[in-house]
Amino acid sequence: MAATATLTGLRARLDEIVGRGHVRTDEGALVTFSTDATPLERGRPDAVVFPASTEEVAGVLRFANERGVPVVPRGSGTNLSAGTVPHRGGIVLVLTRMNRVKEVSDAELVAVCEPGVRTIELAQAAAAKGLLFPPDPGSQTTATVGGNVAECAGGLRALKYGVTRDYVLGVQAVLPTGEIIRSGGRLVKDVAGYDLRRLLCGSEGTLAVITEVTLRLVPAPEASGYGMAYFPDLAAAARAVSRVLASGVLPVTLEFLDQVCIGAVEDYAQIGLDTSAGALLIFGQDGNPVVIERDLERMAQACTSEGATSVRIAESPEAASEVLHARRAALPALSRLEPLTLLEDATVPRSRIAEMVDFIQEVAQRHQLKIGTFGHAGDGNLHPTAVLDAADPDAVQRARAAFDEIFARAIELDGTITGEHGIGIAKLRYLERQLGADHVALLRRIKAAFDPNGILNPGKLGS
Amino acid sequence: MTAADVTPENAPESRGVFTPELLGRCISCGFCLPACPTYELTGVETSSPRGRINLMRALEMGVLPDDDPTVNEEASFCLGCRACEPVCPAGVQYGELLEEWRDHLWNGRRRPWKVRPLLWAADSPRRVRAMGLVRRHAGRASEAPGPVNLMLGCFERVLYPRVSRDARKLAAELAVPTAQGCCGALHAHNGELERGNQLARELGEALPGTIVTTSGGCGAHLAGVLGTERVKEFSQWWLAREGSVPEATAAERRVDGRLRIGLQDSCHLRNGLGIWREPRELIARVGEYVELPSAAACCGAAGSYAVVRPKDSARVLDRHLDEIADADLDVIAVVNAGCYRQLQQGVKRRKLRTRVIHIAELLAGERDRAAAI
Repeated sequence: MAATATLTGLRARLDEIVGRGHVRTDEGALVTFSTDATPLERGRPDAVVFPASTEEVAGVLRFANERGVPVVPRGSGTNLSAGTVPHRGGIVLVLTRMNRVKEVSDAELVAVCEPGVRTIELAQAAAAKGLLFPPDPGSQTTATVGGNVAECAGGLRALKYGVTRDYVLGVQAVLPTGEIIRSGGRLVKDVAGYDLRRLLCGSEGTLAVITEVTLRLVPAPEASGYGMAYFPDLAAAARAVSRVLASGVLPVTLEFLDQVCIGAVEDYAQIGLDTSAGALLIFGQDGNPVVIERDLERMAQACTSEGATSVRIAESPEAASEVLHARRAALPALSRLEPLTLLEDATVPRSRIAEMVDFIQEVAQRHQLKIGTFGHAGDGNLHPTAVLDAADPDAVQRARAAFDEIFARAIELDGTITGEHGIGIAKLRYLERQLGADHVALLRRIKAAFDPNGILNPGKLGS
Repeated sequence: MTAADVTPENAPESRGVFTPELLGRCISCGFCLPACPTYELTGVETSSPRGRINLMRALEMGVLPDDDPTVNEEASFCLGCRACEPVCPAGVQYGELLEEWRDHLWNGRRRPWKVRPLLWAADSPRRVRAMGLVRRHAGRASEAPGPVNLMLGCFERVLYPRVSRDARKLAAELAVPTAQGCCGALHAHNGELERGNQLARELGEALPGTIVTTSGGCGAHLAGVLGTERVKEFSQWWLAREGSVPEATAAERRVDGRLRIGLQDSCHLRNGLGIWREPRELIARVGEYVELPSAAACCGAAGSYAVVRPKDSARVLDRHLDEIADADLDVIAVVNAGCYRQLQQGVKRRKLRTRVIHIAELLAGERDRAAAI
C-alpha cells in the first residue's frame, strides 16, 4: 500500500481531474472495489476514480506517475486471475463511464467504441447492421470491451473465429506517464511501427490504459445449428473432439462438460440435461444452411463412432441458445455444490486433450479433490475447477498442489498455464516455468519501457 | 483492520448478522450487474448486488461498523426487486440477504422515518380494516372464509378497492372476509423480518385454505412463509381456473380495434415466484399484447421505496414511461398495488394517454363488454 504521505491531497487532486462526483474514497466503496471475480485475492485501494474521457484518464495517470501511486484499470471486474485486484493499494481506475459505441460501419466492417461498452452491447450494435463481433466470453453480458482487449478474451467461438486479438485493428491508449498514443486504425494492412495494438491486447492493464478500440467485424452468418452428444466419460468426449477436427470440419463451437458440471448447470438452468451421463459435448456450426446440415451430420457421426450414448441435433435456435447459455454459466453454477471454487484454464494442443483430461482426473483423485472440468474442447482450453469444502481446513493447499501438477503437465504437453484468463496475480509464479528466464526478463524490460515508475497494475504481468 | 487484511487464516469471528450459507453462496462472478437497476443508474460497483454482498460480508466480519454511511446508504438505495436472483447461476438468495441486512440495520432508531407510519398502519389487522372502511372493496364483514379466499391487501383495499370487486365479479367462489390484516411484506422488507413473518402466519390463520392475492409483492412474501401450494397470485390462479384457450378460438378473435396493452411485471412475482407468462397470456386474450423492453425491470415502486426515496424511484421509473409513450399504449396492465400507484402517478405527470389498469379490472371490463354485445 502506498505510504500515507504520498496520498496527502490525493482526493483533492482527483476531484479536480474528474469532478467531485466521480471519485470515491469512502471505506464502503473501497471494500467493494477490493475484489474482482477471483476467489481469495483482495486488496484495499485508496481511491476509486471514474473518468469520462481520454484526457481525464491521462490526467489521473500523470498525477499518479508523479506521486508514484499504483493505478489499476478496471471494467466490470469479471477478471478471473485477480488482474483487477488492487493488492498494492492506490487508485482503481474504472472505465465504465466511457461506454459509447462511436461507430459501426457495414461499409468498412469496423466498429469503434470506448472501453466501457459491454461486449454484448457491441455484439448487438453489430448485429443490428447484419454484422458479427465474434469474441463471446462467458461473461459477455457483464464484461467490457476494454477488459476483453486487455485480457485478450476468448469465448465459445474461438475455434473458428479466433480470439479478441484477431479483431483488434487499432487502439488509442494512455501511457502510464500520461502521453496519449494510437496504434493501428481502420486499416487491414498497416505495418508502420511495432504492432503495439497487439502488444496491448492481453497486456492485462500493465502497459497502458486503453481508451478507444477499433474492432474488425465480419458479416453475420446466415444461420447456425447446434447438436449435443452424451458420453460415458470425459475422455471419450475428448477423443470425439479429435475425431471431429480430423473429419474436415471447422466447427464454430465445441464445448464439453463433465458429469460434475452437467449436474450443477442443470440445477441452475433446468433445461432437461441428462445428469447421469459422464460427459456432454456441445457442437455447432454456422454459415450456409446446407453446410451446417452436412457438418452437423459429420460431427454427429464422429461422436457416435467414439461411443456417444446419445446424439441429438437441436431442433430450433432457441433450444440451442438455452444450452449455450447454460454452458456459459458453468463456472458460477459449480458454486452451487460448494461456495469456494478454484478455477484454472490450462490449455493444451487439441490432439492432447484426452491425455490432459485423464491426468486431471488422476490428480483430483490423488489429492482427494472434487474437480469439475468444462471448457472449450475445440481449442484445447480446459477449465478444471476445484470445488472445495469450506469446512476442510487444508482443501485450498491440496487444490494448489493439484494445480501445480496440472500446470506442469500442461507445459510438458506443449500447452500453456492460461488460455484466456490471464496471469494476473494468481499465476505470476508459474510464468517463468513456461516462458523461461530470458523471456521473462524481456517482458520486464518491455514493462519498464512503458512504465518506468512501475505504477500501472504493479506486481502482476511484467513485474 | 481493513478488508484487505482479512485472510482465511486470520478471519475474525463472524457476527451472526447473516445466515452463513446465504452469504457464502456468492462467488463474485458479476453476472448480476447488468440486471440491477441501481447499477444501471450509477455504474458503480458499490450499488450492485455483488457490491452490496461485499458490504454485507464486511459488516459480518466487523470490517465495517453498523453505522458506516455507505453500508446504510446501500441498504436503503437497493430497490429489493430481486432481478439479480434469476440471473445468478450460483443461486444466491439475495432477497433473503437483504431482509437480514435491513433487519439488522433498521431495527430501532435507524429505520427511515418515512416508512414508520406505513409499518404502524399495516401492523394491526384492526387498523388495516379501519383503513378499508371508507372504501367500497369486495370484503364483507359477515363473510366466513371459504376454500378459496381473496386477500384484500392493506393499502390496496384503500387505494384500489375496485381491484378486489372486479376479482370477485370474475370469480364468485372467492370468499372475501374483511377479518384479514396485512401480509407482512412491508415489515419484512423494512427491517422487521420476524414481525413480517408473524403477520403472514396470522393472515394464513384468518384465511385458511387457498389464498388468492391481486398483489405480486404480497404473494411472494406470503408464499415464502405459507408455501406456494396455498398462495396463488390472481393471474396465475385465474389462468389455471379458465384453462388454456384452444388455438382455433384464439385465431377467431377479432384483430381490428383491439387495445394495445403492455404489462409491468411485479418484481417479486417474477423474480421470486417465477410468474410472468400467465399475465401475458391473459392480456393476449383481450387485446394486442405489447412487450415493452423494460417490462421485467423494476418500475421503482418497490414497496415503500417510492415513499422513502422518491427521487431515485422517479429516476428508475423514467425509462418505463419513455417506453410506454414510445409504444403509444392504450393500457399498461399491472399485477401489484405498488406498481399501480407508481405508474398512475408517472403517467399523470407525463400527461400520457395510456390508462393504468390492474389485470383483474382488465379482465372484468372485457367480460362486461362481451356480455353487452
